[in-house]
Amino acid sequence: MPLAPAFAHTGTGTSAGLLSGFMHPITGVDHLVAMVAVGLWGQLGNPAIWILPIAFPLVMAIGGLFGVSGFDLPFTEIMIAISGIALGLAVAMNIRPPLWAAALLVGVFAVFHGYAHGRELPEAADPLAFGVGFVIATVLLHLCGILIGVLTRWPVGAQLVRASGAAIGAIGGYFLLSAMGLVT
Amino acid sequence: MKKETLIRAIAAALALVSVPASADAHLINTTLGDFYGGVLYPLSGPDDVVPWFALAILASIQDPRNARWLLFVFPVALVGGALLSVVTPALFISPAWNLAVIVVTGLAVAAAAKLPFPVFLGLGTLIALLHGYHNGQAMTQDTDRLLFICGVAAVGYVFVTLFTALAISFRQGGREWRLIALRASGSWVAAVGVIMIGLQLRTAVPM
Repeated sequence: MPLAPAFAHTGTGTSAGLLSGFMHPITGVDHLVAMVAVGLWGQLGNPAIWILPIAFPLVMAIGGLFGVSGFDLPFTEIMIAISGIALGLAVAMNIRPPLWAAALLVGVFAVFHGYAHGRELPEAADPLAFGVGFVIATVLLHLCGILIGVLTRWPVGAQLVRASGAAIGAIGGYFLLSAMGLVT
Repeated sequence: MKKETLIRAIAAALALVSVPASADAHLINTTLGDFYGGVLYPLSGPDDVVPWFALAILASIQDPRNARWLLFVFPVALVGGALLSVVTPALFISPAWNLAVIVVTGLAVAAAAKLPFPVFLGLGTLIALLHGYHNGQAMTQDTDRLLFICGVAAVGYVFVTLFTALAISFRQGGREWRLIALRASGSWVAAVGVIMIGLQLRTAVPM
C-alpha cells in the first residue's frame, strides 16, 4: 500500500499561530531594530519610558486594523525603514524632544509596524494566537531596548547606547535603499 | 540489614513483580479524565487565557473588598455559562462579544481604572458566562458533564486567583514602574482585541 509520510507537527493550530506571530517581529530585522530603538529612546527621560509602552500598542492596533481589513496603506516598507533611521538617529544624537513630539513620532511609525503585522494576521493558523505572539515579541524587544538603555547611567555605557543608535540608523538606511529597489 | 530481613524484602518484591496489575499513568480509566479535560480545555488556547489574565490584573488594581467578590462570582458564573450550553446548546453568541470584553478589560487595565463595583463585577460575570458557555460547547455526548464543568470552574478560579495574587505581590514593591508594567500589559491585551475585532469584521463582511 502506498505510504504517505506522517507529520507529528503540521504547522497548524494555536502553537503554530503563536510561534509565527512571535517570530514575525524578530525575524524581520527592520521591525526588530525599530522596536529596540523605541525602548532605547524611552530612556530619554522617565515620562517617555512610562508613556511609550502603554501608548505604542494601542496606536499599533490602529495600523493592525488597516492591515487585517485589507486596506492598502502606501509606503509601508519605506516608512518602517524610515522609522529605524529616525529612531536610531534620535538615540545616536541624544535628541530629547517634548514628550508629545516623541509620542507623535513613535505613534506614526507604530501605525506602519502594526499594519505590517496586521497584513499577516488573516493568513495565520490561529489569528488570535498570532496576535498574542507578536505582542509578546514586541514587548520583549521594547524591554531589551529599555534594559540596554540602562547603560546610559555610565559614561562609557552612554557612548555604547549612542553607537547602538547609529547602528540602528544605518540598518534602517539599508532597508530604505532596499525598499526603494536600490540594493538587493 | 539482617539477612532474614533482606530475604523477606526480596521475596516481597518478587511477589509484587510477579503479579502485575495494569498501571494507569493517566487517570482516564479512573473516570476523572473529563475533569482534567475541563481543566485543560481553557488553557489550550489564548481565547480564555488572555481575557482571564487581563481580568486578574484589573482585579489587582481594584479596591481589595471589591476584588475579593470576583473570586467567588467568577467560577460560579463559569458554571452558569457551561450549564447554559447544556440547556441551550444552539444559542448563537457573536464572537464579537468575546473580543469586546477583551478590549474593554485591556483598556481598563491600561488606564488603571478603578471601576464602580457593579461595573467591575458585571464585567467579570460577563466574561465568565461567555467563556463558560464556550467551554461547555466542547462537551460531547460521552463527556461526563459534571466533571468537565467542575474542571472548567476549578481552573478559572485558580487562574484568576493566582494571577491576581501575583499582580498584587508584584505591585507591592512600591516602584512606579511596576504599575506601569501592568498597565502596559493591559494596553497590549486591548491592542490584540482591537485587531481581532478588525479581523472579525472582515470575516463577517466579505470584501
